[in-house]
Amino acid sequence: MRLIQQVKQQINIWAILSSMFILVILLPAMLVGKHFFAKPNENWLHIKEYLLLDILSNTLVLMAMTGILTTAIGVSLAWLITVYQFPLRNFFKWALILPLAIPPFIGAYTYHGILNYTGVIQSTLRNQFDVQVEQKYFDIMNIGGAIFIFTIFLYPYMYVITKSFLENQSSSIIENARILGGNSIEIFFRIILPISRAAIIGGVSIIALEVINDYGVVKYFGIQTFITAIFQTWAGMSDLDSAFKLAGTLMVVVILLLLFEKFARGRKRYSYSTSKIRPIIPKKLTKSKAMLASGYCAVIFCLAFLIPFAQLFLWMVMTYDKIVTVEFFGLIKNSFFVAAISAVIIVIVGVIIANYTRIYQGIYAKVISKVTVIGYSIPGAVIAISVLSIFVALDNYLLSVFNYFQMDPLIIFRTSIIMLITAYVIRFLTVGYNSIESGFEKIGNSFTEASKTLGVSTIGTFFKVDVPMVKGAIFGGFILVFIDILKELPLTMLLQPFNFFTLATRAFRYANDEMVSEAASASLIIIFISGICIYFFHKISEKGSEK
Amino acid sequence: MNKNFFGMVIVLVISLFALVGCNTSSEDAAAEEPEATSSEETSSSNENETEAEEEKSGVVNLYTSRHYDTDTALYEQFTEQTGIEVNVVQGDGDELMERLDLEAEATEADLFITADAGNLARLKEKGLTQAVESETILNNIPEKLRDVDNEWFGVTKRGRVIVYSLDRVDPSELSTYEALTEPQWKDRVLIRSSENIYNQSLLGSLIELNGEEAAKEWAQGIVNNMARDPQGGDTDQIKAVVAGEGDVAIANTYYVGRLANSEDPEDVKIAEQVGVFFPNQETTGTHVNISGVAVTKHAKNVDNAVAFIEFLSSVEAQEAFAEGNNEYPVNPEAKASELLNSWGEFKEQDIDLTILGTNNTRAIQIFNEVGWK
Repeated sequence: MRLIQQVKQQINIWAILSSMFILVILLPAMLVGKHFFAKPNENWLHIKEYLLLDILSNTLVLMAMTGILTTAIGVSLAWLITVYQFPLRNFFKWALILPLAIPPFIGAYTYHGILNYTGVIQSTLRNQFDVQVEQKYFDIMNIGGAIFIFTIFLYPYMYVITKSFLENQSSSIIENARILGGNSIEIFFRIILPISRAAIIGGVSIIALEVINDYGVVKYFGIQTFITAIFQTWAGMSDLDSAFKLAGTLMVVVILLLLFEKFARGRKRYSYSTSKIRPIIPKKLTKSKAMLASGYCAVIFCLAFLIPFAQLFLWMVMTYDKIVTVEFFGLIKNSFFVAAISAVIIVIVGVIIANYTRIYQGIYAKVISKVTVIGYSIPGAVIAISVLSIFVALDNYLLSVFNYFQMDPLIIFRTSIIMLITAYVIRFLTVGYNSIESGFEKIGNSFTEASKTLGVSTIGTFFKVDVPMVKGAIFGGFILVFIDILKELPLTMLLQPFNFFTLATRAFRYANDEMVSEAASASLIIIFISGICIYFFHKISEKGSEK
Repeated sequence: MNKNFFGMVIVLVISLFALVGCNTSSEDAAAEEPEATSSEETSSSNENETEAEEEKSGVVNLYTSRHYDTDTALYEQFTEQTGIEVNVVQGDGDELMERLDLEAEATEADLFITADAGNLARLKEKGLTQAVESETILNNIPEKLRDVDNEWFGVTKRGRVIVYSLDRVDPSELSTYEALTEPQWKDRVLIRSSENIYNQSLLGSLIELNGEEAAKEWAQGIVNNMARDPQGGDTDQIKAVVAGEGDVAIANTYYVGRLANSEDPEDVKIAEQVGVFFPNQETTGTHVNISGVAVTKHAKNVDNAVAFIEFLSSVEAQEAFAEGNNEYPVNPEAKASELLNSWGEFKEQDIDLTILGTNNTRAIQIFNEVGWK
């Protein structure tokens, strides 16, 4: 009797839904597994001998250097903004998030455009001052250039995560340290760094994953990484086996990274001890120090946003009448809708899984929560290939069913947008889930339990207590996913239905075809929409910390 | 907030279904009025789907790696003349090919357009194309620019030439691709990475003409003479010639044309400072390649697809299609643009372009072996 009750407790709508979603996410991973353990062929030996070491070292160098530099910039900015008062602080507070609106691949071709021989810097020097410069100092299309691009366009992840941590968690600690007479530098190194460890590691792992999965920057700069090698092996050599072997290797790297993250974060859980948080009171800086702080923020802001934005704007003016046609508005519509719909689905799925793994503590729930994260470790290329194979099979099956009943098929999934959306959901579920899960983590279980004690059902509690309490996290997750999809390249390029073009694919195709100024209009719209989203994201997190 | 949020969710889910409807019917829906169709679709989807099947005769579905604005104008012109709607997926040529392969019999694509004969030959080798019988096409497109079994057809033509600095190089110093491996060109040669199909096809053609051994030596020789590690596209190589990083670059003709016709005055200046040299005129001829079109093996609208190729090979379309990317038309009746004519006539490599596909894998391996990045 008790056993039945236990099973009944385990099998419920949450468990069933969560399991279903997990199965969909696991499909590509299983496909990788199947090919990973297949017998190696001649191509694979060739790759192993000539390429593997190169792509492994390129990928690791990019990841490590970007990780270190973004940490240095992101944490220092977060620290300055949260604990000090200096001119323009309120502007920088959100302006420093803005670079997130510029997809790294757009940043890459913009900077190449600024710096190359016909770019604005060199042509001004040449035409106005008759100065010829050594080309190698202006060369950005190499691994150092890629690190620069990733650093300036990805540091906002680190900045946002550590800033919100410092704002929410550290006020009493910092104030106590101040009272005990610690100076700023001491406080930063002896207190801030150690207590923000979890936040920093979280930020590094997001940034590392973005770098690993990047397709646009490394392809444009011609740097061999896992992602370009996977595409080249699959599409160039028509060798799915070897491509999936590379993908499998990459997944091992990523899973190690995620394990490291869990390990390094340790068991520390910071959840609210009260439902009120006290904000830090920022300290006023002396005049010269304040200038320094503003100057530092301004340099980063110019490099990471203002300069590329201005260049794109100039290009847009140059090509505007050729590019912005009626069709162009179709691109905006496509990009917007596909991102919005996918983000809504991801958020719904994310809430369901996060709620399940939170309430039901068993091993199964734990496994589900871990598996959800796997989606992010699967390279975009692999998701694209897997999803395509799965939908071909599905369409063929449906076709045979319809033929049996002598009906015309009602829908061909591959020519609909469903295939693309499925791929987005698998790819970006982790982004939304993480945000929602951390929201749930913060409120803890006590409010839910109180509600249940008062006789409200799980589902009632879910709608009346849980969702309203984490609505900030839900909306935050929605925005992060929305921006990610707006910028997404490999999945969109491979799985697009007929006559379906997005801003990102259009911008990339122009840039990759060496028509950089033509790519500017689409790029600016992406930046504009993402910029607005980021502004809202900022407003929400502000509101969250004022509460 | 709670209620608003779920209201929003519901609205978006509904619009999802509307969008799906709109896209499945994109074969028959006129592209200009997707809204109208989608609302019809949701109200009576069954009826509409059957209609869609019946009207299928009026479409042709295209996978293309070309994406020039002039192309779209041509598609519209084709629709105007024949009433056949053109549906397009634009993407990377290689990736679209694999997509077609994965889709196999289930594919909706009728036509495949991609750059480089090497790619088209691979497409045929994978059994993804079918032979086309059409007098019009055979008359319009010369034999050497189409497949032996008429499974693919070149629609535009480009040469892979030596672009040299007018200041520092006397064209009399230039002769062949092979001569660029000589010691006098040490640290002076610019060429892009081996990942690129244009280089793979060039090497593939040298494997055919000179043999594998000599081709490998050539690749090694170019690597030894490179002015810098390969980076950027063909345009970047041309700019690097003007910037003085090297003295000669190997690039496709249309990149020079594109710089000359650019909106940016700085680009135009670049084009004015370089010369175009057609190599191997005394020997095997300049490497030419095409971008071409094939009817897919499992095409559902074969007649429309053939009509589309006939249209593309017509003099009128040829001129616009080739000029869209500063390329040479394949139809001998069609005129090339003024700039291309100013470079004069040249002798082309006389090889079966199919070979480029056959030699592709070997070419990639040679590049990796000699360390051509």
